[in-house]
Amino acid sequence: MTPLFLAILFAPVPGSAVGAVDFDAQIAPLFARHCSACHGATKQKGGLRLDRKADAIRGGDSGPAITPHKPAESLLLKKARNGDPAERMPPTGPALTDEQIQLLTRWIEAGAPWPDAKEAAAGSDHWSFQPLNRPPVPLPKRPNPVDHFLESRLQTLGLTFNPPADRRTLIRRLKFDLLGLPPTPTEVDAFRNDPTADAYEKLVDRYLASPQYGERWARHWLDVVRFAESHGFEMNQPRPNAWPYRDWVIKSLNDDKPYDRFAFEQLAGDTVGADAATGFLVAGASDQVTSPDPVLTAQQRADELHDMVATTGSAFLGLTVGCARCHAHKFDPISQVDYYRVKAVFAGVRHGDREVKSPERAGRAKQVAQIRAEIADTTRRLEDLEPLADPAATDARRSPVNARVNVERFQPIRAKFVRFVVFATNSAEPCLDELEIFSTGPDVKNVALASFGATLRSAGNYPASDRHRLEHLNDGKYGNGRSWISGQPGRGRVTVELAEPTEIDRVVWGRDREEQFSDRLATRYRIDTSTDGERWTVVASSDDREPMGSGSPAPPGLNDRDRKEWTALSRQLRDLRAGLADLLRAERVYAGRLTTPEPTYRLHRGDATAKRELVSPAALAEIGSPLTMPATAPDADRRATFARWVIDPANPLTPRVIVNRLWQHHFGTGLVDTPSDFGRNGAKPTHPELLDWLAAELIERKWSLKQLHRLMVTSTAYRQSSAASSDGLAKDAQARFLWRYPPQRLEAEAIRDSILAVSGKLDLTMGGPGFDLFEPNSNYVRVFTPKKTFGPAEFRRMIYQMKPRMQLDDTFGVFDCPDGGQIAPKRNRSTTPLQSLNLLNSTFLLQQAGFLAERVEKDAGAEPNARVKRVFTLAFQRPPSDREFSAAVALVKDHGLPALCRAVLNANEFLYLD
Amino acid sequence: MLSPTGRLMLDRRHFLAHAGSGLGGIALAALLAEQNLLANDARPLRPEVKPDAPLLPRQPHFPAKAKRVLTIFCSGAVSHLDSFDYKPELVKRDGQPLPGGEKLVTFQGANGNLVKPIWAFKPRGQSGKMVSDLFPTLADLADEMCFIHSMTAKSNTHGPAENQMSTGFTLDGFPSAGAWVSYALGSECRDLPAFVAIPDPRGVPQVGPNNWGSAFLPAVFQGTAFTADKPIPNLARPAGIAADADAATRDFLKVLNDEHLRTRPGDSELAARIASHELAAKMQLRASEVADLSKEPKTVHEEYGTRDKNKTKAGFARNCLLARRLLERDVRFVQLFNGSYAMGEGVGNWDGHRELKKQYDVHAPVFDQPCAALLKDLKRSGLLKDTLVVWVTEFGRMPTFQKGASGRDHNPKGFTVWLVGAGVKRAFSHGATDEFGHHAVENVATIYDLHATILHLLGLDHERLSFYHNGIERRLTDVHGKVISNVLA
Repeated sequence: MTPLFLAILFAPVPGSAVGAVDFDAQIAPLFARHCSACHGATKQKGGLRLDRKADAIRGGDSGPAITPHKPAESLLLKKARNGDPAERMPPTGPALTDEQIQLLTRWIEAGAPWPDAKEAAAGSDHWSFQPLNRPPVPLPKRPNPVDHFLESRLQTLGLTFNPPADRRTLIRRLKFDLLGLPPTPTEVDAFRNDPTADAYEKLVDRYLASPQYGERWARHWLDVVRFAESHGFEMNQPRPNAWPYRDWVIKSLNDDKPYDRFAFEQLAGDTVGADAATGFLVAGASDQVTSPDPVLTAQQRADELHDMVATTGSAFLGLTVGCARCHAHKFDPISQVDYYRVKAVFAGVRHGDREVKSPERAGRAKQVAQIRAEIADTTRRLEDLEPLADPAATDARRSPVNARVNVERFQPIRAKFVRFVVFATNSAEPCLDELEIFSTGPDVKNVALASFGATLRSAGNYPASDRHRLEHLNDGKYGNGRSWISGQPGRGRVTVELAEPTEIDRVVWGRDREEQFSDRLATRYRIDTSTDGERWTVVASSDDREPMGSGSPAPPGLNDRDRKEWTALSRQLRDLRAGLADLLRAERVYAGRLTTPEPTYRLHRGDATAKRELVSPAALAEIGSPLTMPATAPDADRRATFARWVIDPANPLTPRVIVNRLWQHHFGTGLVDTPSDFGRNGAKPTHPELLDWLAAELIERKWSLKQLHRLMVTSTAYRQSSAASSDGLAKDAQARFLWRYPPQRLEAEAIRDSILAVSGKLDLTMGGPGFDLFEPNSNYVRVFTPKKTFGPAEFRRMIYQMKPRMQLDDTFGVFDCPDGGQIAPKRNRSTTPLQSLNLLNSTFLLQQAGFLAERVEKDAGAEPNARVKRVFTLAFQRPPSDREFSAAVALVKDHGLPALCRAVLNANEFLYLD
Repeated sequence: MLSPTGRLMLDRRHFLAHAGSGLGGIALAALLAEQNLLANDARPLRPEVKPDAPLLPRQPHFPAKAKRVLTIFCSGAVSHLDSFDYKPELVKRDGQPLPGGEKLVTFQGANGNLVKPIWAFKPRGQSGKMVSDLFPTLADLADEMCFIHSMTAKSNTHGPAENQMSTGFTLDGFPSAGAWVSYALGSECRDLPAFVAIPDPRGVPQVGPNNWGSAFLPAVFQGTAFTADKPIPNLARPAGIAADADAATRDFLKVLNDEHLRTRPGDSELAARIASHELAAKMQLRASEVADLSKEPKTVHEEYGTRDKNKTKAGFARNCLLARRLLERDVRFVQLFNGSYAMGEGVGNWDGHRELKKQYDVHAPVFDQPCAALLKDLKRSGLLKDTLVVWVTEFGRMPTFQKGASGRDHNPKGFTVWLVGAGVKRAFSHGATDEFGHHAVENVATIYDLHATILHLLGLDHERLSFYHNGIERRLTDVHGKVISNVLA
């Protein structure tokens, strides 16, 4: 180091003279200069942090660094004095001077006094942790107080609001903003010609009352909570019962459910009859891969709970609580223990479906039982129609094998042993989920069950698997998770030894009766029986079955009468099954399995194997009112108590965070531009008083979001034009201070919905399971093949897309659609050539351009000029300019109406809002 | 244009001025630079991305050794013990129990005894580096390679481990290394994507697009996935639309957009979208051209094996050739995959749990010749001088066989990756696993370290390259990572 450098940046350490040591003047700067690079806000080597009192006292991995009053025992001094440069601290640069060591010694002798004010400065004096302060609104020039705050800030910049936007612009802006859809030409005309003074306010109220409002704003919320309908990670299988949470969000918003209630239900809805709401807790990724390795299992569980803690913190509190998983938060007053306290709140929640408690449940259970009995009966009758297997036959008499279940009927035969031998599969090693053998006589039993004393032998098993084990073949449980796989590709042999010789006439087997998987299906096989295990009689084989994928589903061997009955029964069975699936779906929601909480330990550096002390559930110590709970608190109590703390009016974050989210979507950017981080490292509000006023207003208006929407969109700021001015651009290019309405680009979902709306194909059916944009696939690691053709099923609003995690839609995903991996409180807005290619050339767009052309032909008749005008009216709600008109007419003349439709759906005007 | 040092000076000057010292001046900054004190500056560096030209080339933080990166990802976890990590003790103790391994539970459960490498190791090249016969052609290139034998991963299951190798995080939803690099440096190549992912001809790897996603970075930085046989979706003019109709439609669209922009002067986003249409048109030509291998000489096709009767091998070979063609057109980051999970455990990838010999006898011939041809080709053409090639896999495998099977279970505690090309040593081995190849014990390296090193070679400081996402300065290396300076040439 040069002396010059030292002179500039290093002031000499003052006060090595005897006397009281001044922490602020002498010790803090010393730490800052020599220690903070490694033991400060950005790094905590050895787990030690010396810029905050609590952390410094706690010490690091080697224990406390400072022992007050005992310099000789203080590790910090031992390290600083160490004669071995390899051991000494600081590790680089010169050692501390004797004077500095003296200073530290005296400070520790004095009890290491560290004024608390410094501590406060590190966290809780931060603006967002302060109580809400509802600022007075002076007698306003403008009727809407929102404008008062904005305007006074604009004045300081020497700017003013733009003049109002014209009515076409305004209705486009409003309808896209509130409903995510373009206004129809009729709506625009009506609004344009409405002479009443409150024409706009009426429009606002009408849109806020529209059910499409909930769909539009639910999308924003689902971004915040990383909702997706598959598990993520390697297998990424769908979550078919996740949609009720989406429906709950949509309905809650449409009902204007008070936000405090909205928040509460997502954390503890099970306690108040809102089961689907806790879909929030488990909306994130979870790894479906299971392993006997306890370390991996602990890691997976820790990651699941981390996702719940982090998302709860960021969604409701606007705090990056997840940052405290490994160490105290670097910027905010959230200790590592705090993190584990919140983790303990969720320690009873596990990923999975849950049965919904509802008044209809008892009746439904009865219905389920009844349908199940009918299914059993119908299945039995169908089985009785199944032609007997004929091992000697070579022509096809029976139906092809299928992955769900196959019945083998044969002449009654006495057997002690039954053997199932596979010679070929549709892929890989054969898998059977259950092998059932039925006795004859009045008391029909599945005598293959282990519980009846049957035993199993095989020629080889799939190694080292928990799911696929030989004993799963006769455990009475169905499905891939309890199945057997052979050890040999394409082949396998399993022998059942019955408890005693029994007369049997039926064997039933399947690959996966739960219908998740259709690979590993035995396609060529033989079943034989024996009484002594030496001489075998073939009773059934695949030889008299139709080959897979051929022929009619009915067994070819049936006579006409039986075939008719078989067809009728099959249809009946299919309907019964569909009915049962509906009932069960209504009963099960991917809203978390609620169990007895597991003990929660603080994990050293977040390492799932480094358990430290037990931690009880509680809220963040430094935020809102204090809240602790007993370590024994049951699951629901933990979450309900915590939820009440989140929505307690003493907690200023919750209302601030939500009003900022509303603002963000109305104006393009939040007053705080880090919508899920209101901590010290987050952005500061552009208008702190306005934010507080809005938050206070929300509470006063009983947490009604719709009233807040109304307040915002009826402001002058919202209704002004988006025209740019050089003065405005020079002083505030991003229009954060709202001298103009900032132009917006539509999000992926709004673009797709708009295309459908304009083409006339949009299906506004609400709720229920979504549509899939990928081909069905049953591979155990889900393979996503985008659909290439689309029909009415895919023409619903995009919020109803069955959204897989990490796998974006082929056409619209590239418009900065979130992937559901992490939270997405704010979307990017990038422009890429792939967006252009997708929108110009995708089959989806071309098909819709065709539909738009058909619609226009119908609407406007044969006259080409009228058609051109109609295209413009539908797409842009305005007539074409002269230049546009003549160019459009020429295009249609040479290349047809669909060419024009393809172009308008790609136009900037279609994708951007003024 | 300023040199990187100059830019840093300006940064520093700005900082000093900002700090109110009033001493900001070139002289002082130069002095500081000479003293190399700038290295202590830990403030985040967020590349300045122009919204209307987000892929314009950007300067690195300091002079770079590598201009572009090719990663070759063998998905499923290649056994280091049967390929590149020679352990004589394992050969000697074949069939004996792994000391302390009796109660060891790994990913799929219990383990049997130690098993020696299934393919014999031999000294290769002038360096005499021991490499097995699993990859006979690649083994001949051992003198070019810089091995890291002491890699460790955080997870022992494929999903999170692949995530970590490609994004730095085990969780879903973080930007991939390629996205970070495109974000940092943009692209020298205007009409191709800055970042291309080439999935295996058999399908995508376990975590699919998360390997090349942009997550919370702008979508413009995400990898574009295509192969020699499967072009970019929606790239070609649709079949039902004639060329003149297509051109007329685009011309008309331009009229619409120009009219729209005329009344909104200076809106750079609208202008950018107009420009992106033009870029898209160029990309249609250029991307079709780059994937058209027909002009390559016959000898090249033969060297890669693009017409091999093993269809999978031929497909992978075409992908290797595509990778070279992308790199020579200055695509910034190419991620080439070998192995796919669509077909089940170990069937189409390196996940050799059950019958490792049989499985690898299928996979190795697919990989060996084409990959070696690609490396030789890059060297011959001079591209290796400023291209960094990184061969990776998500973790290693156990020195034992699984109980009841003849394959090896997952082992994230020690495995091998190698680097070739710009800025790294040749014929060099860094770090080591224990005598059985179970745990990394010498110069233990993490995936963070590997990423830090890749960024370093590109002239990027991994501790400073950041993206501000919801209050957090996100980095590829999270809060970890150290450049493995030992491997730098």
